Amino acid sequence: MNPGLDLALDRVIRAPRVVVWNAWTDPSLLEKWWVPAPTVCRVDRLDVRPGGGFVTRLSDDGVEFVPHINASFLVVDDLERIVFTNAIDSAWRPANPAPVPMTAEITLSDHPDGTDYRVIVRHGDPAARAHHAELGFSEGWGSVTKQLAGVAESQAAR
Amino acid sequence: MAQYSAELDGVLVALADPTRRGVIQRLGRGPTSVGDLAREFPMTLPSFMKHVRALETNGLISTVKFGRVRTCALSRDRLALVDDWLAEQRRIWEERTDRLERLVTYPTEK
Repeated sequence: MNPGLDLALDRVIRAPRVVVWNAWTDPSLLEKWWVPAPTVCRVDRLDVRPGGGFVTRLSDDGVEFVPHINASFLVVDDLERIVFTNAIDSAWRPANPAPVPMTAEITLSDHPDGTDYRVIVRHGDPAARAHHAELGFSEGWGSVTKQLAGVAESQAAR
Repeated sequence: MAQYSAELDGVLVALADPTRRGVIQRLGRGPTSVGDLAREFPMTLPSFMKHVRALETNGLISTVKFGRVRTCALSRDRLALVDDWLAEQRRIWEERTDRLERLVTYPTEK
C-alpha cells in the first residue's frame, strides 16, 4: 500500500461468502450494485478467470450507453479473491485510462458474522502518464503528496 | 465528470515537475514576486517563466502585475483537486460496497 496512491476498505458483510461471490460474478447481480442508481449499468463481459475480460457500460437514460470499465482479470481464486486492472483492456491491449490506471483487489474471507470483505485499489503514478506524454518527468504522485503536505504545513505555520 | 477529469489531468501534469512543485511549495509560504522566485531556481529566467506559465495555465497559481513587478500566489482550490480525486475514488468504492452489502443482505428488496 502506498497511502498517497492507494485506498483500502474493509467491511464485514452479513451474508455468506458464496452469496457475496455470486453478487460479484453473476452479471445480472453485478449490474444491480456496480453503479449508483439512477444510472443503469450493463455488463458486456464478466469472464471471471485470470485473463478474462471485464467490460461494463453506463447509461443515464437506459437507451444510450457509454463505456465505463474495460479491464482484465489478473487473479481469480474461487470464492476468495478477484484482482482486475484497467491498465490492460479486455483484449489485453495496454491501456492508458485517465487520469491513471488502477488495479483492484477484492478479498473475501469467512467471518463469524458473515464475510470479511476487503478492497485494495492501487492507482498508477501520474508521472507514468506525464512520461507517456513525452514530457519526461521523473517524479510522481508520491512527491506531489509530500509537496501538498508541505503546503499544508507551511499554511498551518503562518 | 469529463470536465473534472480534464482539469485534474492538467493539474497532475503541472505538478509532475520538480521545479513547479518547488514553486508551489515556496508559494505555500505566501505570495512572491517572479524575480524573487526565479533566484531560488538554478535556470534562466525564460526557462523559469515557462514553468510559471504552466502553473498559471492550469490554474495552480495566479499572477498579478503591479508596475514592473509580477507577483505569484497559490490557488489552493486547484491543489485540492488532487486530494479530492483520491477521496472521490474512495467514496465510489465505499458506496459500491454499501450497495453490494444491501443486495446480499436483503436480496428480496431491489
